[in-house]
Amino acid sequence: MARRPGRPAPRTAAAAAATLTAATLALAGCSSSGSSSSASSSGSHQVVHLTITDWDNGMQTVVGTWNKAHPGIQVQLIKPSGTGYTLYNKLITDNRAGTNPDISEIEYQALPEMVANKVIVPLDRYLPGLAAKYSSAALDQVRFQGAIYGVPQNICPMVFFYRQDVFSKLGLKAPATWDQYAADAAAIHKANPKQYLGNFDAADPEWFAGLAQQAGANWWTTSGDKWTVAINDAATQKVAAYWQGLVNKGVISPEPSFSTQWNTDMNKGTMVGWVSAQWAPNQLPTIAPSTAGKWQAAALPAWTAGDQAVGTWGGEAEVVTANSKHPAEAAQFVQWMNSTTQGLNLLIKNVDAFPAATFAQALPALSSPPAFMSDQPDYYALMKTIAQNVRGFQIWGPNASVTFSSYSDAFASALQNHTSFAQALNKVQTTTVNDMQKSGFQVAG
Amino acid sequence: MAKRRPRLLPVLLVTPALVLLVLFIAAPAGYALYLSLMKVRVSGGLLGTTTTQVFAGAGNYVATFTDPEFWHSLGRMLLVAVIGVPATVILATLFALCLDANRARLTTVTRLAIFLPYAVPGVIASLLWGFLYLPATSPIGGDAINYFGGRTIFFTVANVAVWGVVGFNTVVLYTALRALPRDTCEAAQIDGASEAQIALRIKLPLIAPAIAMISLFSVIGAMQLFNEPTALRPLANAITSTWVPLMRVYSDAFVNNDIYGGAASAFTLLVMTVAATVGVRVLANRFVRRERG
Repeated sequence: MARRPGRPAPRTAAAAAATLTAATLALAGCSSSGSSSSASSSGSHQVVHLTITDWDNGMQTVVGTWNKAHPGIQVQLIKPSGTGYTLYNKLITDNRAGTNPDISEIEYQALPEMVANKVIVPLDRYLPGLAAKYSSAALDQVRFQGAIYGVPQNICPMVFFYRQDVFSKLGLKAPATWDQYAADAAAIHKANPKQYLGNFDAADPEWFAGLAQQAGANWWTTSGDKWTVAINDAATQKVAAYWQGLVNKGVISPEPSFSTQWNTDMNKGTMVGWVSAQWAPNQLPTIAPSTAGKWQAAALPAWTAGDQAVGTWGGEAEVVTANSKHPAEAAQFVQWMNSTTQGLNLLIKNVDAFPAATFAQALPALSSPPAFMSDQPDYYALMKTIAQNVRGFQIWGPNASVTFSSYSDAFASALQNHTSFAQALNKVQTTTVNDMQKSGFQVAG
Repeated sequence: MAKRRPRLLPVLLVTPALVLLVLFIAAPAGYALYLSLMKVRVSGGLLGTTTTQVFAGAGNYVATFTDPEFWHSLGRMLLVAVIGVPATVILATLFALCLDANRARLTTVTRLAIFLPYAVPGVIASLLWGFLYLPATSPIGGDAINYFGGRTIFFTVANVAVWGVVGFNTVVLYTALRALPRDTCEAAQIDGASEAQIALRIKLPLIAPAIAMISLFSVIGAMQLFNEPTALRPLANAITSTWVPLMRVYSDAFVNNDIYGGAASAFTLLVMTVAATVGVRVLANRFVRRERG
């Protein structure tokens, strides 16, 4: 009943196929004209025009500043119609058509997939000195088979945000361990059955991956050209079982973050905590404007008291696409924005980015907290401490999008049908391995 | 030579339609069929940066048919259809008969009101209904009734879809009713038939072909269910990315980056839709003949 009556029946398959036909035609058209102008020598009389897709608010100021200083390389900002995987899937599809922008923002977990699909190009030949500006942990996120495929922009350690007023009314402190978090969740829900300390987010696999990282999971590891996939390993099972316990007791909401229901709950004050990440103060003003000034950030609860390891949720690199006709100029812009003092100052001020470049974490722009956290003057000091203990996977899978969509389906179904999270994890594992084997990747075990 | 000319004209007249049909339906369907018989093999190191398209035979179809989720998605679609198709047809018929009744007043306004939801795009309608359903924003008891429950979700989705199409179908039937010869109804009235009797015994059999047609469209529409569940999906955990077959096709091709598997499911669905269309037509023709006979 989705379609209005009156349409011819066989549209179903035709519509999908039409897109593909168009893509093929465009590809054919592009390869014939692509070689005509590759003016990659900078400083010529010709003005080079570049396009960048980036979903962050405040990017126009950053791009505008560059354009004023570099009349020869003009960058145009394009807001993507979707963020995250909506954008990555589009990049993979458009890559075949040759219509991708020159530069894009891509989260770390999608980079291997972008490399595997030849959407992005190595930057080593354009940016020889890049590696020196980053820690090896940051470089590991963008370096594959010895080549650097993107300039790391920010790191997003997971952080716990809570409503200071609600906590102090109940005499609670920010939970230091997950056991304490569970106790606090129960206490808050008991004091006011409408209130929840947090939610289990079945819609956002990266959130769950971040929690698994903290527990010591390593979903993908490699040796040589061989992959090992361990999405249902013991550490991840521990995390799943923990949250299943909270959900079953009803002390945690099953509503996905950023959903209409959750946004309303956050704004109304019935959701009084959020297991989130460093970027939350950039989002909270639009999610929960009426709660401004009531939030505090704290280190994520630990599995054992004193363990400071955290996972990440989000974090982006800027990449140059294979479709770009001016990769050298694009690489220059990307480097300026993400690894120079001027570019990073602009990013911190306009985009609330917590920079990945080692030197930038001492920038004076980080001495005052983001506007939404103005009551917490040491906000960035806390972030710096937390960022030192980030634990990640060795690498993200070459088909992470399959893993992630499988996570959303499996865990949403588990919540909906009250079935086991452990089974859901096994399903994600099987789906991921099957897809890799189907494509021809070597998977151990 | 002169005798042949009349034969050329019909050919000429159907050519534009034929060209469009081949260009935008047959050719893409053929391309989908081709893709559904292929698969991609990666090689070249850890990240498999060398990809080759190879012949897969029936592999993608076997994968589709042996995937329990494919059958589940078909089952869910059928459940929505079982609720939605009769609801659409019955409501549209009821509305049309009421509008056509002699005693009906304010028919222009009412007709417009019934038709208006059809003008609302499906995605917008789903979001509007989403707000009506969600506990946080619901004015229709969302905190008492779980509109996104394991069973209620089928009614929730069907309701949005029915709300959107019932107006159009009402207008189709109403137009059919207006085209009926008035003297038939007048004769019945003089013979002492009540409004209800005229509606059920005279009008209904006469518009049976139109009812059969909207039933057919509703069944086809049900098989193409996509907008409503897709737009409602982010609101709750009730709808997965493979909830109905078309969502599965989309998810395979554009989320999981497997256009080949997606093409196989799409082609399977195409065959099923054509089969269902033919099936409903045969049934409808029989029904119409019986009603008229």
